[in-house]
Amino acid sequence: MAEPLVQFRAVHKAFGTYVAVKSLDLDIHRGEFLALMGPSGCGKTTTLRMLAGLEQPTSGAITIEGKVMNDVPPHHRDTPLVWQSLALFPFLSVVENVEFGLRMRGIGTKERRDRAMLWLDRMQLKGFEHRRIDQLSGGQRQRVALARSLVTEPQMLLLDEPLSALDAHLVIRMQGVLTRLQKELGITFVYVTHSQSEAFAMADRVVIMGHGQIEQIGRPQEIFRGPRSRFVAEFVGRNNILAGQVQAGVMQSPQGSVPVGAPDGPAEIVVAADRVTVSRDRPAGAAIRAAFLSEEFAGTGIICYFETPDGAEWKAQVSESQLSDLQAESGQEFWLSWDPARVHVMG
Amino acid sequence: MITSRKLDLYPILWRLPLLVWQGLFFVVPLAFMAAMSFWLVKNYRMEPAFVFDNWSRMLGRGAFWDAYWLTLGRAALAGVLATVIAFPASLFLSFRLSESARRFALLCLIVPFFTSFLVRAYAWQVILAESGPVNAVLGAAGLGPFTMLNSGFGAMVGYLTLVLPLVVIFQTWSLAAIDKNLIEAAGNLGAAPLRVLGSVIIPAAKTGLVLGAVFAFIMTFGDFVSPFYLGGSKPPTLTILIIDTTKSGQQWPRAAVVAIVMILTLFAVATAALKAAYGRRG
Repeated sequence: MAEPLVQFRAVHKAFGTYVAVKSLDLDIHRGEFLALMGPSGCGKTTTLRMLAGLEQPTSGAITIEGKVMNDVPPHHRDTPLVWQSLALFPFLSVVENVEFGLRMRGIGTKERRDRAMLWLDRMQLKGFEHRRIDQLSGGQRQRVALARSLVTEPQMLLLDEPLSALDAHLVIRMQGVLTRLQKELGITFVYVTHSQSEAFAMADRVVIMGHGQIEQIGRPQEIFRGPRSRFVAEFVGRNNILAGQVQAGVMQSPQGSVPVGAPDGPAEIVVAADRVTVSRDRPAGAAIRAAFLSEEFAGTGIICYFETPDGAEWKAQVSESQLSDLQAESGQEFWLSWDPARVHVMG
Repeated sequence: MITSRKLDLYPILWRLPLLVWQGLFFVVPLAFMAAMSFWLVKNYRMEPAFVFDNWSRMLGRGAFWDAYWLTLGRAALAGVLATVIAFPASLFLSFRLSESARRFALLCLIVPFFTSFLVRAYAWQVILAESGPVNAVLGAAGLGPFTMLNSGFGAMVGYLTLVLPLVVIFQTWSLAAIDKNLIEAAGNLGAAPLRVLGSVIIPAAKTGLVLGAVFAFIMTFGDFVSPFYLGGSKPPTLTILIIDTTKSGQQWPRAAVVAIVMILTLFAVATAALKAAYGRRG
């Protein structure tokens, strides 16, 4: 494989006594759509800001194209960032906003206007060039921010939760715009988000971060079906976790004894909510008993919440017809079962 | 659609005190002064009349226009100097201090107003005197002594003493309110620090910068303490001219002419400045 575009090597970042990023090692490849995902405070935004030079690593090295960037100020980097607040200049018109980067690079009036107009056209903002920023809709502002960052033809684009302020239907549309744009331009996108749906829908690779460290890196499906730690399992998807001691293919857990395909010793298994079957009668195989709590409509199905006798919460995804067949009432006990071959053993 | 236009007394009732106050203590005196500018003075006593004598005499006098341009020039210079001198301080307060330290610093900037400006002007008389500490220090370095009092320089020291704290407060308010992301975004898009200042920070803080300068202009334009106690009254500013005119022969009507010209000038400057401060292109 070719040399990565960006390399983080043992990067550490502390703000006073608060450690935001701990010994981070990460390669970002040319032309990939990489999502940095995690709960707030996990260090994903700090990582992105260090890449843009807006924060300096406390220790470790960040290289771009093999060149150590630690002491390179932001304005000497080619790492445009799309802010969560977009950070468009309110005192400039739409086209002047888009031109800004070109103006700072000393490109002449005529050429920078032409290049800016080309990008406004591409972003379907033709006719809006002399508007003020506050005369645009949320989606239009988004596209101005993208045009402003891309007009200088950078090799990578950094995005910090750019869609978090948009309405749900606009988010889906902008996801399409972003993935198409990334494929067309062939440049690297580094996308920070706490939204699993955004990361999984767009990214080639997802980096899950927690407490300033990388928990897992992989393709969306790998992470979704094969979380490597309890943290990832709880953060992505609707997963149930069962922990216990395995002996001769049977796990003894507080929720019950179930067959499991794991070697002897302590183990944790992840049962995705969409792989749990709910029934009144005890089925053969892996099953635990739990009381029905409530249900929640989730678009693609219904998530039923259960509580095991020891107080653990379990989730099962069922269809509408399944739910009406069950005639579940709060407090009633059911059997939750799954195919032992279709669970993920962590560790 | 036709809506019944009922006269709502409640809001009018609450606005009434302000209207009465403004009417009694601003509009009426102003109208009175305007009327007075057409009166006559006979044997040191004013007589109601309607003659243009005061206007033609004052505006026809070269000395009046000398004073007018001097005052206007000094006010403009004080506005520019105060803006330029205050700006680095405001930048420091806005971007280098924590929120609480900034609040404390702004509080300190209000402290000078606890003392009468007259007292502060007297303090400068001592400091700037021929035998004062400034000349002593310069003398030790083999310079001077310089005559700093009773000159345009002395008056300008007074003007800046009066306006600098306010200008810093105005500037700091607008600079500290700038979205920090805009500043980072400018750097991110390739702007070196100095260009960030020119292309983002100054345009984004335009309102506060213009208002600060206008306040400096207005206060300097109408100040008589600085030109009187530190500027030596010569050549006279419009404020000195008003004092002289009233002292010599009770010429209140002619002083009214000067005052009305001053008010009209300030009104024009303030209107233009507000347009510049809040106006947007496009």
